[in-house]
Amino acid sequence: MAPHATTTTVPDYKNIPHAHRLPVTHRDVVRTFSKLSRQSLISLAQQWLAKKNRDFCRPYLASDQDAEDEDVDEAYEPAHSYDELQETYKLMAARKGGRKESMDRILEGDWRKGISMYQLATAEIQHLLDHPTTLRWTAKRMARIPNNRLVKDMEVTNESEHLPRFQAQTFMMNLAKELTPLMKAHYLITRIKTLPITILRVYIHDSPYSTEASLATDTSQGTDSAKAVFFIWPNGSPFVYVSLATHLGQVVGDEGRHLRDIVQQAIPKAFSRPSSRYQLTPTNFTARSLSALLAYRGPGKSNAAAGGWSIFADSSFSQNALDFITTGRPDERKKATGDDTTSGAKTGPGRPKRALDDAETTAVKRRKDVAEGRFGSSAKPNDGQGIERFEVRIDDPFPAIPNPTDQQEEDLSNIDNSQSNRDRRGRPSMLDRTIEDMEAIQDEEGEAWVPDVRLTFTGSHVFAGVRELVEKGVVDGEKMPGWMTGEASVTIGAVRHGRIRTKEAGLGV
Amino acid sequence: MSAHVVPACLSRVRRVPDHNTNPTFPQSCHVMASIDDIDSEISSVRARIASLHAQRANLASILLSTPHLSTRLQQRPVANEPLRRNASKIVKKQTSHNLENVYRACAGITAYRVRDPDPNAVDNGNILGVRIEVFVQSKFVETYHVLFSRPSARHKSMLRVHHHTVPACIPVKQLANKHLPQSQRDASKTTDQDLIKFGKLLRKELVAWHLRTAAVQKMRIEAGIEGKGKRRRATAEEPTYGKVLNAFVSDDEDDDEVDEEEEDDNSQSHERPIKIIDVESDLGVRHVSVAWSNGRTAALDIAKDGDITKAVVKTADGSRLPDLERRATGRVEGLLDRWST
Repeated sequence: MAPHATTTTVPDYKNIPHAHRLPVTHRDVVRTFSKLSRQSLISLAQQWLAKKNRDFCRPYLASDQDAEDEDVDEAYEPAHSYDELQETYKLMAARKGGRKESMDRILEGDWRKGISMYQLATAEIQHLLDHPTTLRWTAKRMARIPNNRLVKDMEVTNESEHLPRFQAQTFMMNLAKELTPLMKAHYLITRIKTLPITILRVYIHDSPYSTEASLATDTSQGTDSAKAVFFIWPNGSPFVYVSLATHLGQVVGDEGRHLRDIVQQAIPKAFSRPSSRYQLTPTNFTARSLSALLAYRGPGKSNAAAGGWSIFADSSFSQNALDFITTGRPDERKKATGDDTTSGAKTGPGRPKRALDDAETTAVKRRKDVAEGRFGSSAKPNDGQGIERFEVRIDDPFPAIPNPTDQQEEDLSNIDNSQSNRDRRGRPSMLDRTIEDMEAIQDEEGEAWVPDVRLTFTGSHVFAGVRELVEKGVVDGEKMPGWMTGEASVTIGAVRHGRIRTKEAGLGV
Repeated sequence: MSAHVVPACLSRVRRVPDHNTNPTFPQSCHVMASIDDIDSEISSVRARIASLHAQRANLASILLSTPHLSTRLQQRPVANEPLRRNASKIVKKQTSHNLENVYRACAGITAYRVRDPDPNAVDNGNILGVRIEVFVQSKFVETYHVLFSRPSARHKSMLRVHHHTVPACIPVKQLANKHLPQSQRDASKTTDQDLIKFGKLLRKELVAWHLRTAAVQKMRIEAGIEGKGKRRRATAEEPTYGKVLNAFVSDDEDDDEVDEEEEDDNSQSHERPIKIIDVESDLGVRHVSVAWSNGRTAALDIAKDGDITKAVVKTADGSRLPDLERRATGRVEGLLDRWST
């Protein structure tokens, strides 16, 4: 790896090395650094100054100073050694101060000659970890393309491995091999300590050159495309999360989207080996929160046990096999005391007034119990596993109108005269019925009327909201279909026979 | 926050006979010096309450498990009939719980029935649950569930995995495809289904996974990387963005770093100690990588039953060490012993 840029500008087949620098006024640099907190900035600077990273993050030292272009009023005196700089940042970390101060010190002082690609990448990953909901992620599955020649592919033996093997160096080499003819890119792949994930950041540089100068001049073109793409591999699972838009509210241009798609297509190829090839298949799951993704498409026990089935994933359904205690658990005790007070009130003197209260509290309690039964230990407002958007299309025939006994059916009959709006704007939705879907509906329902009804739930935590509605009595918890509890663990799907249709037989891991 | 809670709790504690064994028991509530003292006292009282509750629950379940208790309850005349009914109900609950636990502990795989609360569930929400206990290192460490539904109205015995809590690194789907085949449209050949075999193989996979995890954990402790209160002091210096996997640093720098670490963490061995500084594995514990302080690295492939099938050991300059590679193959448990001899 060449530590410094070459002066020639010949198109080449190299990656952008970690040490290449962007000018501090570069849009990406400014955007990233202005979002980081003081604490994050200082800890980043300290890590850049660590011995093993110095190759990639050369600060501006006094020895770099040219005698000729000596600035008269330098705001920041260049340091004389790495140790001095480390000391400076240690002192900064110890005292209080503004965010701007540390940012200015980094951009205008110690790294005034430019921020290296390595620094930018680590800064962006730091921001991602500080704010784990800034990006929107789509979970995909790395599925092995079935190979008819080798039938024992699917066999489970002592040596067989059903997950794609992730070996960072080999993967990076293969990925670079796929991508360098098409674009220049900077890669940073890092394993996170606090979460069981590995993050790959690909900084796309749409140019035939991989020099520092070409990186810097890219700003002037003004293409407003997102330049970095993130991929996350949860450890020990067949999934990969792809970031849809790199930054909140940033428009991703067509060109940017195509480049991103190219990177995405290269991922399964980089994983593939002779006689075991992979493809990315959709899993119908999109969310902002990384912890939600890890719960629904992660390495743990909760993937196929969402909604009310969450009681099986935590130990609330069956305690340890050697735990013989049946009475006197703290939660039971609480319940018991609650019962006591209500029953005491019933026999108490103020009967007529209390009776009303009692009826209400028992109804509330019952609704709470129903919600508990339907949602289990999931869909708590503060569990951090919120899904922002949940979309379904109903493929069941319209309920017969003559007996609109249910509240819901009345509601639906109001909608029935509004024709399905075919002139929907924008790109085709993933929920649009395909021809096969139409045929399947025709086959099963015959002449029954199956309007194109779509429901979209949005909010900060959709299923916690539904649970609250059940607890408040707005939604009937007992008649509510199962997909409203999130137990299908998808964020987009089609409902058939009252259930989310799953393409594969059985809920896969 | 709990100024009014504490007295209530105290009164409850006081009823327990052995309260005088606790030296911190607040006999002199009025001489509390500072808020810290009060806080620590509250927390100690809370801890005591919790432990007493646990003791009470334990004693209660021992009492309820007394043999012939229910018959004696039935036979003796009592003054209050509802109380007796309540008592025998509790006894019955305890007895059935004990029975269930005995089956779970001894059989390893147990089945139960649950109801799917979804009003649109197939087969009226009848669900067959299979519970798999994993017993590793003299403990029941984890319980896994697989829940089956009967999707076909015609073939009532055909089961389908409805939900499960098996981690992604266990090939539950492949096992289900093999032993619980789903014939999509033509449900003619449903005879191949073998739930027992499925359960056995799944349990084998799960237990093997836990055993591998435990073996690698033990290896870490043996190598002195973690455990035994010797947390790596590097945590503060470790970057929050994690370990960058494609940062190839120049060799001399790397050596410096390692030497520093050696000086810091190593005091027991004297002359040029070469020790293991890192043992890493994937979540499924099929691939383990080991790093030594002198830049030597090893990559190991582990079969599901814990045998190391392949091993590559390289020195810092990339030449292989066939002797160590040969000695690596075998059980994962004795790896470090084999290497050190």
